[in-house]
Amino acid sequence: MGLIESGKMPKPLTKLLNISRRYSLWVYQWGLACCAIEMGATFGSARYDVMRLGVIPFPASPRQADLVVISGTVTDKMAPSIVRLYEQMPDPKYVISMGSCANCGGPYWDSYSVTKGVDQLIPVDVYVPGCPPRPEALLEGIVLLQERIQNEDISARWRGEPIVVN
Amino acid sequence: MATESAEAEVAGDSAVELPALPEGSVAAFDILKATLGDCVLGSHIKPTGDLWVRVAAEAWRQAGEVARDELGCVWFDFLSVIDWLPSPFGRDMDAEQDRIVYGAPARELEAMEHGYAGGESRLQVFARVAALPSGSNAGVAPAVILKADLPDENPAVESWISVYAGADWHEREAWEMFGVIFVGHPDLRHIYLPSEFEGNPMRKDFPLLARRVKPWPGIVDVELMPGEAETADGDGAADAVGGAE
Amino acid sequence: MNTTTREQMAYIAGQAADARLNVELETEGMTLNIGPQHPATHGTLRIVARLDGEQVIEAEPIMGYMHRGYEKLTEVRTYPQVTTLINRIDWLGSFANEVPFILAAEQLMEIEAPPRAQWIRTILFELSRIANISLFLGDMGVQLGALTPVFYAFRDREFVLNQIEAVTGGRFHPNFDRIGGLKDDLPAGWIEETREVLGKMRTFCDELEDLLMGNEIFEVRTRGIGIIPADVGLSYGLSGANIRASGVDWDIRRDNPCGLVYDELDWQVWTHPDGDSFARYWVRLQEVREATKMIEQLFDGLPSGPIMAKVPRIIKVPAGEAYVETENPLGAMGYYIVSQGELVPFRVKIRSASFNNLSIAPWLLKGVYVPDIITILASLYFILGDIDR
Repeated sequence: MGLIESGKMPKPLTKLLNISRRYSLWVYQWGLACCAIEMGATFGSARYDVMRLGVIPFPASPRQADLVVISGTVTDKMAPSIVRLYEQMPDPKYVISMGSCANCGGPYWDSYSVTKGVDQLIPVDVYVPGCPPRPEALLEGIVLLQERIQNEDISARWRGEPIVVN
Repeated sequence: MATESAEAEVAGDSAVELPALPEGSVAAFDILKATLGDCVLGSHIKPTGDLWVRVAAEAWRQAGEVARDELGCVWFDFLSVIDWLPSPFGRDMDAEQDRIVYGAPARELEAMEHGYAGGESRLQVFARVAALPSGSNAGVAPAVILKADLPDENPAVESWISVYAGADWHEREAWEMFGVIFVGHPDLRHIYLPSEFEGNPMRKDFPLLARRVKPWPGIVDVELMPGEAETADGDGAADAVGGAE
Repeated sequence: MNTTTREQMAYIAGQAADARLNVELETEGMTLNIGPQHPATHGTLRIVARLDGEQVIEAEPIMGYMHRGYEKLTEVRTYPQVTTLINRIDWLGSFANEVPFILAAEQLMEIEAPPRAQWIRTILFELSRIANISLFLGDMGVQLGALTPVFYAFRDREFVLNQIEAVTGGRFHPNFDRIGGLKDDLPAGWIEETREVLGKMRTFCDELEDLLMGNEIFEVRTRGIGIIPADVGLSYGLSGANIRASGVDWDIRRDNPCGLVYDELDWQVWTHPDGDSFARYWVRLQEVREATKMIEQLFDGLPSGPIMAKVPRIIKVPAGEAYVETENPLGAMGYYIVSQGELVPFRVKIRSASFNNLSIAPWLLKGVYVPDIITILASLYFILGDIDR
């Protein structure tokens, strides 16, 4: 592990580690709104079978998760809990924002109680558009995230430097 | 569905003369009138059987009791408030839409227009209770919608919790959304919004800030072709934004 | 004395014994916070329970984590735009959300949809009931520790969603109902495909009956738990299967089918006298079965003709007030529309079923044991979007 922290990882080793990280994403079960049902269909049904991509939808605690799918409308009342749960996840951590509401407020763009986009609260890696996105779209989002993980400079991520949005 | 033709305002005794009115609703109105007397301020019956009765705010809880015990309306449907103020903010972007797209003249939004059974004040509390259709406790009328005017200053009305237990959350919601105080409610707290939220969002004078920053993108439903932009819609867009200060 | 009463007596005796012990031992209370994000809450509900030992002294649901301000937003959207929005209230049976709103608007405009549109509406209404409740049937198993039923539910629900998608183009939010009719007719060959799917759903119900309802653990955890007496349920405004499971024979579909064609069908309203969690599950299971039979009858009698009445291109609803309520999958759902003759409604009060159904929870959760919180909430069956709006 010293190797990773010092940032002197040999390329082949980086590649190997990235492959293993890519295919063992533990995703936290986080259901917010309509999208949660489509997420449930992706993760829970035999037809879409997310496990063939190496995504494991079991942890019920953020402390065991690598990935969180923000699936649904984020309200101002919910926002503190989202930030708190995100902070509880161990680094390196990834976020998929699923659906229009989490992306930008969606149909509630003018509401008095909805946060217009979860990226105001936490950094987002992949945005999946749709209202709600089909399960196939979420799978596509996960594949994109895996590609991103594959090409990542692991040591930068490992040091846990905060990713600043703005 | 010839609603309009047979609709009638039944004020007091004139109810009997009209032929098309459903009997149950008329009977229910008569019972309310007999029990509450002068506190019944207005009413309306649709041929579909819907019955509206406006009572004085002092008789609000009593009206609920009468509806439950004498009319057999044991099932609590909902309770809420209407703000009759013509909105200075709420629908201004869509008033722009009327004007820009459909050429409607600019409207004066001054006088309050109250709905069925009339009204006098800005805030009106209303509730619907229904009876079971059959069985031992079948009601006189299928359902009744009760309304009561609230004073403009310090709107308050007696709570319905002792009459219908389910009114608890509905009153909390009405308190949060409209600022109506329910006297006797043990626990008026925020139900939906975070406790630091200021204002009563469902009041007509509560602006939706997002709409004031950016006008509703659906105002113009024909998108311009490339090239003919700017000049043609410069007017409308400027107006829409200009109204948002 | 039937099983439920006996088990209920045992349960009450256990509660009393525990309470006495707690007093003798002078135990201190403890506050348990469940949620807002917790696998055992349906979505973002938070429950703050004050416990004494294993018993709940007081439990209070805290909602609003999904409050999106529908009633305010409908005041700034035109009537056709509102249906897009209200699809998302009860997201499992979306089509059913549109129907009462459209019916109320039609009542104000004095338009009646042509017969074929009414029949197709009823078909889609019942299909969304199946899509909605089938997930509950599986989900209730998960809440009680049986993981398999939910996989079956997701598997078979897909078939129903496919059929809804084939007609409306949307798996979840069809936005298909229009003032005066429907957007489109049924596609060719759809009826035959759907008949097959209905057969599958009946098999699904049979499977669950074998898997879950005969299961000893399931019975022990649901029978006699969370009993709602009919009069209490009525005063809290409970509706749908929750009140029918308490023996109240009342179904808006039968008693006031305004605008939908239920009176043309031969069907039955299912009730259960017990009023406990098991009864609520049982009634819902029967309702899914009944819905499949109703849809088949609807197919047999489907009239031909236009699917859209004559409606002005720009919809302005005349001034007036209308309230229409239908029997949605979750219970009675209604829209109270106040119109002042504009493009947009002046005020829309959305009466959603789950809000009333959950409001009994503080009363119901007093004195139960902690694991029963989950059973009771699961059996009340609410959807957060339907509570918070």
